[in-house]
Amino acid sequence: MDGATATGVPGGQGLLALVDAALGLDGAALAQARTAVRDFLGEAALLDAAAVIGGFDGITRIADAVGIPLEPAKAQQTADFFDALEIGRFRMEKA
Amino acid sequence: MREELAKTQAQAWQRLASPGTWWTGAERIAIAAEARNARECPFCVARAAALSPLAVAGTHARLASPLADAAIEAIHRIRTDPGRLGETWFLRLREAGLGEAAYVELVSVVAVVTAVDTFRRAAGLEEPWALPAALDGSPTRHRPRGARPGLAWVATLAPEDVTPDDPDLYREHPGPRQRYGANIHRALSLVPDSMIHWWDMLEAMYQSSAQMRDFDRDYRAVTHPQIELLAARVAALNRCEY
Repeated sequence: MDGATATGVPGGQGLLALVDAALGLDGAALAQARTAVRDFLGEAALLDAAAVIGGFDGITRIADAVGIPLEPAKAQQTADFFDALEIGRFRMEKA
Repeated sequence: MREELAKTQAQAWQRLASPGTWWTGAERIAIAAEARNARECPFCVARAAALSPLAVAGTHARLASPLADAAIEAIHRIRTDPGRLGETWFLRLREAGLGEAAYVELVSVVAVVTAVDTFRRAAGLEEPWALPAALDGSPTRHRPRGARPGLAWVATLAPEDVTPDDPDLYREHPGPRQRYGANIHRALSLVPDSMIHWWDMLEAMYQSSAQMRDFDRDYRAVTHPQIELLAARVAALNRCEY
């Protein structure tokens, strides 16, 4: 597991790999990602990271299922990276 | 595992079995079981892979339960393809007979099951937790008098519209919880008990609003930047704009 490469966050690459594996179907990749996070950040960090992943896997469903909008002030504050990351395309995919 | 994390998840799990506001305990457990079953539904797999979910025809592989087809459709789509849900889809569910407040409670049950199952999978804990046995009793059928349409697809209850008949769903703002009424707090507010129970668990899994804004201290074994990196990645993979 590398450190902050590409993310600027210590352990960031490993944490991203943990998210991708936890929401995916590859059990071997998930086991590898867990081991990497545990070795680099520790067992408590693995559990707290898993908790954030689980919590947000739930809250994103709530937000999307009731059509709750982002507050106008927050939308204004985040407009630059909203555009840069092409988050608006999510809206066009709704059906 | 942090005591608060274990405790709030166990409480949320047990609450699945209790009569809710619009569903019985048996119905809530049926919703929870169906949320798990949806991941194996071939129709959902095909729709999630399609350019548009509307391009695929079929029927859900569902469990035997008294849940109506509209509820099954809601559970499966929320569990397997949440980022592409649209208001037209929601209105079709309503036309098919799924009540607005019942839908909100259904969403909360799916969210709890998803959160706990994903947590346990990510952490490498034994999975899945067995669903608890349903408890007898009747739903309370409490709809907040101050709930108003307009903010979301469903009516929501703003902090200033809470009446003495409602539970303290915003936690005495500015109180220790500081559920101050951000839009995401209001999402489940049409069913106050569902909202309270969800946030009690989420704040233990993530952070409270006060903790989130306190950058002088880390409240978890992962730092603020690490937490937000994790959260942002989950939101991106789930195509969540919020």
